[in-house]
Amino acid sequence: MASAEIYRYLSLDNTSIPLDPEGYLIDLGDWTPEVAKALAAEEGIRLEDEHWEVIEVLRDFYARFEQSPAMRPLVKAVGQALGPDKGRSIHLMRLFPSSPAKLGARIAGLPKPANCL
Amino acid sequence: MSEQDMPGGELLVILRHAPHGSSWLREGLDAALVAAAFERRVSLLFMGEGVTALLDGQQAGALEQKGTAPTLAMLEMYDIDALLVEDEAMRRLGLGEDDLMLPVRRVGGEAIPGLLAAHQLVLNF
Amino acid sequence: MLLHILNRSPLDSRVPEQALISMGPDDRLLLIEDGVQGALPALAVHFDGLEGRLFALREDLASRGLLSRCDKRVRLVDVADFVTLTEEAERTVSWY
Repeated sequence: MASAEIYRYLSLDNTSIPLDPEGYLIDLGDWTPEVAKALAAEEGIRLEDEHWEVIEVLRDFYARFEQSPAMRPLVKAVGQALGPDKGRSIHLMRLFPSSPAKLGARIAGLPKPANCL
Repeated sequence: MSEQDMPGGELLVILRHAPHGSSWLREGLDAALVAAAFERRVSLLFMGEGVTALLDGQQAGALEQKGTAPTLAMLEMYDIDALLVEDEAMRRLGLGEDDLMLPVRRVGGEAIPGLLAAHQLVLNF
Repeated sequence: MLLHILNRSPLDSRVPEQALISMGPDDRLLLIEDGVQGALPALAVHFDGLEGRLFALREDLASRGLLSRCDKRVRLVDVADFVTLTEEAERTVSWY
């Protein structure tokens, strides 16, 4: 569920993308790869191929199940899609440090995962 | 189901309410997902009307409210695969396993007390 | 031994039936709130086979005028006994 409360805007070229207090998109339809790059930049992350393939897994997960994954199912989904070497929390921690499920969901333009602290 | 292959575990969530009519089913599923996200072994027991949560062909509500079917489909991603269904409820509703969206294990009434006893925590929704 | 706590009446609900099929041979059943209607002799038949393991909360019976009408097979407990029953059980399961 996207929060309805607009807290600030992400400035991107000529547009302003509304964000909630935790930096998640208010309107999930606003997401583009450019938005992802800008959100990642806020976190000090430069998106490489290994990020993009995980973003794709995250967006596919949301399309199938209508929820953002917590860490456990994210690890499993990445493993299924990208192979066992990448389906490990250490790999995801390296790409999206400290909280891959939350940070990954934010950059992938999904709601904050509900079932993780 | 024999005593031997009766699933035990840390949490048994009993789901007794149908989708859309109330929030009980969703709340029960949320409790199961939170526990599984924290690496707990979770079993689900569908009793009474709760069995209808498993029907295939479910959709969003008339006012676009999200259904619970995508959440049920997601359970395997949380490694929740002990889906137990009360035999008697299936019979009363006139349903067969072909009507259900996921593979389940049917349990007769005589096995249910053992199921409750075999889990460290039972949450009833 | 599990303590099952039931707050629905057998007259209007199938929940008591769900509680009953889920009870093991040593489990106890405590009737509270609207569940205490089940302590009336006409309804206590639903709980046949639970002799000695069927309890009802005295305060909820009294507030509903059911205390003097309670079936003899039902054991009356007050709120303090409720706590004891909970402590004696491995776990409690609520049926509502």
